[in-house]
Amino acid sequence: MIARRNSSGSEFERRRCGICLTGPVILLLIVNLMLGGCGVLHRQWPQPDEHLPARHELDSVPFYSQKAFQCGPAALAMALRWSGISADTNTLAPEVFTPSRKGSLQLAMIGAARRHGRIAYPVFGPDAMLEEVSAGHPVIVLQNLGLSWHPVWHYAVVIGYDLNQGDVILHSGVTRRKRLSLRVFENTWARSDHWGLLVLPPTRLPATVTEHAYVSAVLGLEKASQWRGAVKGYCTALARWPDNLYARIGLGNSYYALGDKESAEAAFREATRRSPTNGSAFNNLAQVLWEQGKQQDALEAARMAVKLGGPLVNVYRKTLEEIQAGKP
Amino acid sequence: MAKPVSVFLTIFMLLLAAPYQSAFAAMIGTETVLDVARGQGARDYLNRVLAREDVQAELIAHGIDPLEAKARVDSLSDAEVVCLARQIEQLPAGGGAFGVLVGAAVVVFIVLLVTDIAGYTDVFPFVKSRDDRQKK
Repeated sequence: MIARRNSSGSEFERRRCGICLTGPVILLLIVNLMLGGCGVLHRQWPQPDEHLPARHELDSVPFYSQKAFQCGPAALAMALRWSGISADTNTLAPEVFTPSRKGSLQLAMIGAARRHGRIAYPVFGPDAMLEEVSAGHPVIVLQNLGLSWHPVWHYAVVIGYDLNQGDVILHSGVTRRKRLSLRVFENTWARSDHWGLLVLPPTRLPATVTEHAYVSAVLGLEKASQWRGAVKGYCTALARWPDNLYARIGLGNSYYALGDKESAEAAFREATRRSPTNGSAFNNLAQVLWEQGKQQDALEAARMAVKLGGPLVNVYRKTLEEIQAGKP
Repeated sequence: MAKPVSVFLTIFMLLLAAPYQSAFAAMIGTETVLDVARGQGARDYLNRVLAREDVQAELIAHGIDPLEAKARVDSLSDAEVVCLARQIEQLPAGGGAFGVLVGAAVVVFIVLLVTDIAGYTDVFPFVKSRDDRQKK
């Protein structure tokens, strides 16, 4: 059985892919179909409606043919190129490929996308995947082309679908615009729990976006020290959800990391205005005011943070003490 | 020779950078703000579940004092509380949306949590029983 992962995807397994195994893979798929009764779709695929066109194909996704086991770097290169980042399979391979496992980890794919200043946004399931493709976003998918007990993991990029024909269209392995029936695709994709990944410029929201998941994805850019990308991502989030405190604080922190203290101050000030009960916003505002020599304002903000309290009150107190000691 | 210059520059830059590093320590990172909120949210959620009359009645029927159950949940760390809340939300009975009848599954879950702490059972890896704690 495939190891189960929770929906947040914290326990990522190691994935590999084998392009040179096409023959055995086809054989395995046939055996799989005969053995497992997998000829039946495990789930109902969405029907076209007013939100979901019956067919859609992106023509702006470049194709990179993969070398042996290098489906991860190839899939990522295609998605990054589409998003406007010049990257190729060779330069990406050291960032994602794990030679001992002859494959690329999902977390490595996410991390590499972030290191190139792109939002890595996981999507799960056929509905979300089709919606994203119809919105113009290619989706990296992880398939198990083999069997659950003999996995052949493979990354491909979904660039289109045709629900009337019952096909998905993939850039996969060495094949450009490969048409695969929904049934086979479902069987191979279900074994990764329908794991998919968007690689987006930070100015663009996923079609299936949720507030918390998006802010967490932008936070990933902060973790990768991609501060300019993080600023753009938080601005994108705030344009949609102006009251999101974490995006507001993240924006301030990213400006601060860039050395732009005035913009950081403005972001934190807006955070305190919109979330007047959050001590952390006041604490960071105090700090950035103090560093700009605005001691009186800094003292006020720091006192407010301590007054509001919360689990981080000790940090707020330290900030207040340092400001009171008066050495900017 | 370039070397003494580069050594001097290194030291000089370290001196320059030092006050900024200590200043940064007082800035609270975005992730920390998120984690704190998540921990508090999970705690609030568990307290709401424990405060429900049907849950309390079920606990009493199993011979567990609801106050004691709450005290035990309170003694869990943020990470443990988040883990516990997530597991309750993922229960098949579907207690994610508060207000939906969570049903017996949550009660069984909490009973197991409490008995884990008491050392009768050992279902949840993150729970340390009293005996384990005394050993340390």
